[in-house]
Amino acid sequence: MPLEPLTILIAEDSAADRMLLSSIVRRQGHEVLTAANGAEAVEAFRQQRPQLVLMDAMMPVMDGFEAARQIKALAGETLVPIIFLTSLTESEALARCLEAGGDDFLAKPYNQVILAAKIKAMDRLRRLQATVLKQRDQIARHHDYLLNEQRVAKAVFDKVAHSGCLNAPNIRYLQSPYALFNGDLLLAAFTPAGDMHVLLGDFTGHGLPAAVGAMPLAEVFYGMTAKGYGLSETLREMNAKLKRILPVDMFCCATLLCLSFQRRSVEVWNGGMPDGYLHNIASGERTPLTARHLPLGVLNPQTFDDRTEVFPMAVGDRVFLLSDGVIDTCDAKEQLFGVERLQQVFAANRQPDQLFEEIEQALQDFRGEARDDVSMVEVSLLEAAQLIPPPLVYSDSGQSCPLDWSVNFEFRAATLKRFNPLPYLLQLLLEVHGLRAQSGALYSVLAELYSNALEHGVLGLDSSLKRDASGFTRYYQQRNARLDELQDGYVRVHLQVAPKDGGGCLTIRVEDSGKGFDVERVMARPVDGIRLSGRGVSLIRQLSRNASWSDEGRSARVEFFWEALA
Amino acid sequence: MSVVTEVSSDGKKLTISIEGRFDFGRHHEFRESYERLDYKPESIVVDLKKATYLDSSALGMLLLLRDHAGGDSSDIRVVNSSSDVKKILAISNFDKLFDIS
Amino acid sequence: MADTHLDRDVLSALQEVMEDEYPMLLGTFLADSEERLSKLHSAGDAETLGATAHSFKGSCSNMGAVRLAKLCHDLEQCAMQKNFLEGIEKLVGEIDGEFAIIRPLYEAERQRSLADSAAVRRF
Repeated sequence: MPLEPLTILIAEDSAADRMLLSSIVRRQGHEVLTAANGAEAVEAFRQQRPQLVLMDAMMPVMDGFEAARQIKALAGETLVPIIFLTSLTESEALARCLEAGGDDFLAKPYNQVILAAKIKAMDRLRRLQATVLKQRDQIARHHDYLLNEQRVAKAVFDKVAHSGCLNAPNIRYLQSPYALFNGDLLLAAFTPAGDMHVLLGDFTGHGLPAAVGAMPLAEVFYGMTAKGYGLSETLREMNAKLKRILPVDMFCCATLLCLSFQRRSVEVWNGGMPDGYLHNIASGERTPLTARHLPLGVLNPQTFDDRTEVFPMAVGDRVFLLSDGVIDTCDAKEQLFGVERLQQVFAANRQPDQLFEEIEQALQDFRGEARDDVSMVEVSLLEAAQLIPPPLVYSDSGQSCPLDWSVNFEFRAATLKRFNPLPYLLQLLLEVHGLRAQSGALYSVLAELYSNALEHGVLGLDSSLKRDASGFTRYYQQRNARLDELQDGYVRVHLQVAPKDGGGCLTIRVEDSGKGFDVERVMARPVDGIRLSGRGVSLIRQLSRNASWSDEGRSARVEFFWEALA
Repeated sequence: MSVVTEVSSDGKKLTISIEGRFDFGRHHEFRESYERLDYKPESIVVDLKKATYLDSSALGMLLLLRDHAGGDSSDIRVVNSSSDVKKILAISNFDKLFDIS
Repeated sequence: MADTHLDRDVLSALQEVMEDEYPMLLGTFLADSEERLSKLHSAGDAETLGATAHSFKGSCSNMGAVRLAKLCHDLEQCAMQKNFLEGIEKLVGEIDGEFAIIRPLYEAERQRSLADSAAVRRF
């Protein structure tokens, strides 16, 4: 490539040499500035900003080395090549040239061919530096755009996410403010019955692709939880959605929990996340909650496995979940923190409330610095009365509602296997405004009646199995197995709404095709706070009015009343 | 080259070997290794004997391979996994999709 | 090699580069050299002597004064020795002598080139 003309400064105290060099350089097509000493050279540079300097080493007033240092300082980021002119031969003297900021040197007597070659080479370097600076500035601008886009995306996501209950008194969590852009997701919401759903997720990838998957997932989670759908249905929907919208190589590892304060249990589904831990405060034992499933978004709806595990919990027990950022933390020797070290922190922990701090400290000690991209959450089981879910918000005007009607449903085997009618039934009942204030109790009672009818009635499961932790597991395994094999049987639901004293009355009847139970014996049992099983009947009696059983226990009837609305 | 391919003499089996870190940097090479064949081999073997590390982008790449090879009807074996790699594959339950040894 | 006082090849290369300014270059060199010589004589310490010799050496080599350049180099080296006084006077004398030889040669070269360019301009 032909060389563009440059402006070259020649600093040389010998007049004859200066004259000669100027002619040589002009002949090569460049513009020449001259200086007879170092000070003149610096001044000429300051005023005219030549692109290249030929500098004599030994000059009066200010020598070439000092002049070179000052010119380099004035040039700043821009590269102004300085070629020293010298008849110095000692290598130490030549080293001085380079140390002073010289980029090359030219020996006397001047050789025109060599000088032309050096000017060309230095100019190439100069232009390279200019390109680098320009690209660096471009990259910085792009980076700013990206950061801004992420800020906007985060603001949108925060609006979607705020409908959750991460600030409930029984939840403790630690999450980086930019967790979303590491693919980390933490959601929590109350169900209409007052249960709590929690999701800790980890999308593959980073940045906007990871964040973009989180939004539809959060919408499904919040929408379905609010309507009263259980974990399994919510999982199926989330998996189907992600499978549909994400590219093949993207997926979301997740652990989902459903904590029931009334039933004192936790339901767990773990797809691809590290072990969570269920901490039994009384015994100190920690049960690992291991991943039994593929992450969300991998399997198609036909092969997706929504089976959950259920564990009993006592008041004060906690479930602890963490993202893989904890296990993956590396020290300087690329050793992993690993599960063993985490277990050591658990073992050493005396105050459960200090667990987070102890883990963070252990990570910092191991790595040498703090990590800001680790997610941890701890959910405790409190007394049901200590938690007050926020009231549901309705979107209609409240002017028209059905006040006098009844409906019958019969759900047969094929439907019982794969459909949960509770959200639908609840939505139907909430059309009656007078019932809205009691939606929690309504849902709990409906759910209890339905699950009794299905599990004890149609499936014939023995609730006394649920007396301890291993019995719990067996119970739910049997439940799933019998449901899969179910051929006959039904659950009937009868709803009737009628006006009464200016307000109204709802009558619910649930019947099943099972063997029934000894009603009198169960009614006679005292309400027992500790037992894990048999709480359903007392719950129904507490939350509704005039609960009664007939047809040898196969038919249950409850009522709800409301007064005239103001 | 940290992704090496070998086709059996009868053309029915494709072996892809990974050396070093199996992570996002390998994305392009890995895809090339099976996309450049103009037919679908009957079976595919992913050899991780020399692989030192596996992350979630590697899991994503395995899913892409599986999708390319026919999804549910594919025959893919992941062999010679070190204990660390096996642990990662176990947590993500990928043994439900791939034959892992 | 050091017997050659003036390298004619260097001179013709200089003329080619300088063109019309060749005579001025020669004149400037001679004037510079006179100055340097008097500096050599009046130099009070080894450092100034060495620096002047070094500088003079550079110009001489550019201008093709081969032997003079070598003598300046020797003087520079000498100035760096501890017992420098001994060789100094002798070398400075030789330098004076060498310059006395080459000055008329450069003068003649200057005259010749002026005449040549005048001849050319006639057309």
